Amino acid sequence: MRSSDSIGPGFDGVVRPARRPAAPGLRARALRVRALLALTALLLAFAAVAAQLVRLALQSAPRLRLTMAEAAPTAWARPDIVDRNGRLMATDRAVNSLFADPQIILDLDEVIEKLTGVLPGLNAAELRRTLADRSRRFVWLARGLGSREAQTVHELGLPGLGFRTELRRFYPLGPLGGHVLGAVSVDNRGLAGIERMIDEEGLAEPARGAERNLRPAVRLALDIGVEHAVAEELRRGLAQFGAVAAVGLVLDARTGEIVAAVSLPEVDPNRAADLLDAELIDRLTNGTFELGSVYKILTVALALELGLADLDTVLDVRQPLRVGSHVIKDHYPQGRPLTVREVFLYSSNVGAGMLALQAGTERQRSFLAKLGLLEPMRTEAGSVAPPQLPDSWGRAETITIAYGHGLAVAPLQFAAAAAAVVNGGEKLTPTLLLRADAPPKAERVVSETTSAGLRELMRLGVTHKAGTGRRAEAEGYGVGGKTGTAEMPGRGGYREKSVISSFLGAFPMEAPRYVTLVMLFEPQGTGETRGRITAGVNAAPVTARVVERIAPLLGVLPRLVQAHQAAPGTPAFDAPPEAQ
Amino acid sequence: MHRTLNLILLLLALASAFALYVLKYDTRRMEARVQGLQRSVDKLEGEIARLNGEHAHLSRPERIEPMARALGLAPIGPRQYLRLGASPPAVAEAPVAATRQR
Repeated sequence: MRSSDSIGPGFDGVVRPARRPAAPGLRARALRVRALLALTALLLAFAAVAAQLVRLALQSAPRLRLTMAEAAPTAWARPDIVDRNGRLMATDRAVNSLFADPQIILDLDEVIEKLTGVLPGLNAAELRRTLADRSRRFVWLARGLGSREAQTVHELGLPGLGFRTELRRFYPLGPLGGHVLGAVSVDNRGLAGIERMIDEEGLAEPARGAERNLRPAVRLALDIGVEHAVAEELRRGLAQFGAVAAVGLVLDARTGEIVAAVSLPEVDPNRAADLLDAELIDRLTNGTFELGSVYKILTVALALELGLADLDTVLDVRQPLRVGSHVIKDHYPQGRPLTVREVFLYSSNVGAGMLALQAGTERQRSFLAKLGLLEPMRTEAGSVAPPQLPDSWGRAETITIAYGHGLAVAPLQFAAAAAAVVNGGEKLTPTLLLRADAPPKAERVVSETTSAGLRELMRLGVTHKAGTGRRAEAEGYGVGGKTGTAEMPGRGGYREKSVISSFLGAFPMEAPRYVTLVMLFEPQGTGETRGRITAGVNAAPVTARVVERIAPLLGVLPRLVQAHQAAPGTPAFDAPPEAQ
Repeated sequence: MHRTLNLILLLLALASAFALYVLKYDTRRMEARVQGLQRSVDKLEGEIARLNGEHAHLSRPERIEPMARALGLAPIGPRQYLRLGASPPAVAEAPVAATRQR
């Protein structure tokens, strides 16, 4: 159009009014043609759009079907867990998780055949069902593959498969310390134990992919070496005496730190399902038991503390105690009056019952309450099984509790109470975490004199030729303690042949640094024990072996070394400053 | 006069545009490099964590103990301690006696 006006000097010629009247009819027609052209062009464009819509709607329907967004599971990054010496117990490790985009998969049969060949854990039928659903764009096929497996899958070169790295909790020590550590879910959330504490304290962070948690490691009070030694010796004891379960505890008598906590059979934190197995519960904290004669530590402490007796007070234990139709007798009757010292040594039920009766129900109860035995206890790993108190606490209960029946508590809770009695009389709060600073000023529960008296008795129980705990002697380490053999409650009363035998020990006894508890559940008589199943022949020797192994690891020096006898003239090594 | 000025300004504009282009290109390259380095840092950190885990797994007491026992080692016994300054023969004797016990 411009060409018709381009003869002139400027383009303004088009709108020059002088030209308009020249051809009015022609002008109108041109305008109409132009409008028509524009209209046609527009119509064509719209038609094209419509055609495209129709084509898309008809041809590529499956390609455009809406896909639901797969809910991306939030994974959690967790701080490492280390033992008191910084040795790794739990860490997050990047793993490869295999996913598929069913739409891109070309040959379903080939994929299924090759994948099941490489990853035998996959179920072919399930795989087919998952991959046949072409509406999905993202499905997990296998999570947590190792790098070698991932490489093998990668080398298959199958289209439609891909990997994502995510974090997966890994416990390098296997079952060691498993009960303390707990477990995590598939998305790395803490389910139990210290792992749950990490979540509750907000130390776990949501993470995309394999972003690690950069917080400092959670440092436990456990010592891996000690934990292993205890577990190993308990395993030996379990096999030797044919017991069904065993518990071992090493408690720092000053700080309350739990240096080793073992419950056999063990759980492997790498398998979270272990937590659901009732056979594998942590008997140290999740079960309550009547512990038997080890309670006499508390009964004698009660009598000494109230000033009802001293170690030389004589009790006439010749007559059995009568409670209703029940008669309470001694297992090793001596046939003569016994001093308090002898009551403890020969583990006289009658003597213990008499001491408790002298104190009276109320004072016995408040003493046990002061020791923290009647209230539910907590550790960082959660609640400890609450104590099972008797329905009514009368004369009968006062007597039976004196020798450890009628009041069932978690072994950890009992050990903490006993530790308070032997450590000089200060209450102890067990902790699974390393104490960064000195423990808070503790409440005094018994006097220094009472504590010293009990220490003397416990050492005597091991050194005296008639002591029930003499097999607990570990040369040079001055172990002291008390045995306990409790019949397990069964249907309609107690079962005589099923017992829990326990040994509560401490070493070195003059100034205990560690309190130990060893328990064997349902030990059997062997030729070596001449058929006996009492704690003196099983739990006590296991304690001796435990102490011999862990004392060097804990830096407790032996008091008596006989090597110098071979070379006369060398100075005697009898009282290292640490053991004083 | 105006023409020269315009020309100079035009050239300046072109020059600064080019400089900006170079700068932007450089930045982009450096950003890519930072990203790459960050990726390799992450990767190495993951690798360190993996190796730490593997080290802990391989040095777990459950595995070390049988090896140590096979080498004739045993937990230290109370008779193997000596006071510092004890006569040398006694020091030498103690460990030998212990291995012989096995």
